Amino acid sequence: MLLAFRCALASERVTAAAIEANEFPRLSQELGVWAVPRVVVDGEPRWDGSVPEAEFLRRILAAA
Amino acid sequence: MPPLLRAEEETKVREWFGELERPVELFVALGPEETPRAGAGDVDFGQEMVRVCEALAELGDTLSCRVEEEPEGFPRFPAVSIRPNGRDVGVRYDGLPWGYELGSLVGGVVEAGREESTLRPDSLAALAVLDRDLSLDVFVTPT
Repeated sequence: MLLAFRCALASERVTAAAIEANEFPRLSQELGVWAVPRVVVDGEPRWDGSVPEAEFLRRILAAA
Repeated sequence: MPPLLRAEEETKVREWFGELERPVELFVALGPEETPRAGAGDVDFGQEMVRVCEALAELGDTLSCRVEEEPEGFPRFPAVSIRPNGRDVGVRYDGLPWGYELGSLVGGVVEAGREESTLRPDSLAALAVLDRDLSLDVFVTPT
C-alpha cells in the first residue's frame, strides 16, 4: 500500500487509494476481490499480492 | 473505547510523527455508508474514523485532523485524505483502517511528511515521464 502512496506523493499524475474491502462489499464483488492486496489500475484489476518496488513500477506503467 | 495503540506502539508513532518535515492534515470525509459485510457488528464507521484520526493527530504537533460532511471528490465514505501541507495530492484511505491496516494510515502520514520521496531514483525517473493520469486502488482488509 505504501508504494502506491509513495507514487502518488511523487507524481501529480498519480492518485492512490487504499480501499478497505470488507467495508465496501459491492465494489469488492464487482472487482472480484478475493485476495488482498488487490491492485486496480485505472479501474481494471491487475494483480494480487505485494511486489518489490521495481516490479510495482513496471506493472503500473505498463498499464498506463 | 479501547486505546488506539499499545503504549509501546504509541511511543514509536509519536517518534515518527515528531520527525515530520512538513505539516500533514488528515482530512476526514463523512457521508452515506455502504452496508458492510455481516460480522461488522454495530460499528459506526464514520465516528470511529473520526476517533482514529483525531487520536493520531494528538501524537504529532504538525499533524492535524479536519472533518467534513460529504465533501466533493470522495467516491466512498468514510474516507480520509492524507494531505501534505494541507494540499490534496490524491492520497486517500477509504474505510476504517483498523487492525493491521492502521499501519498503512500511519505509514501514509510518515511518507506525506517527508520533503523528499523515498522511492528509488529510477522509480522517480519513470514517474517523471508519465504523460497521463494514473489511478491506483489497492484493496486491503483488516487482519
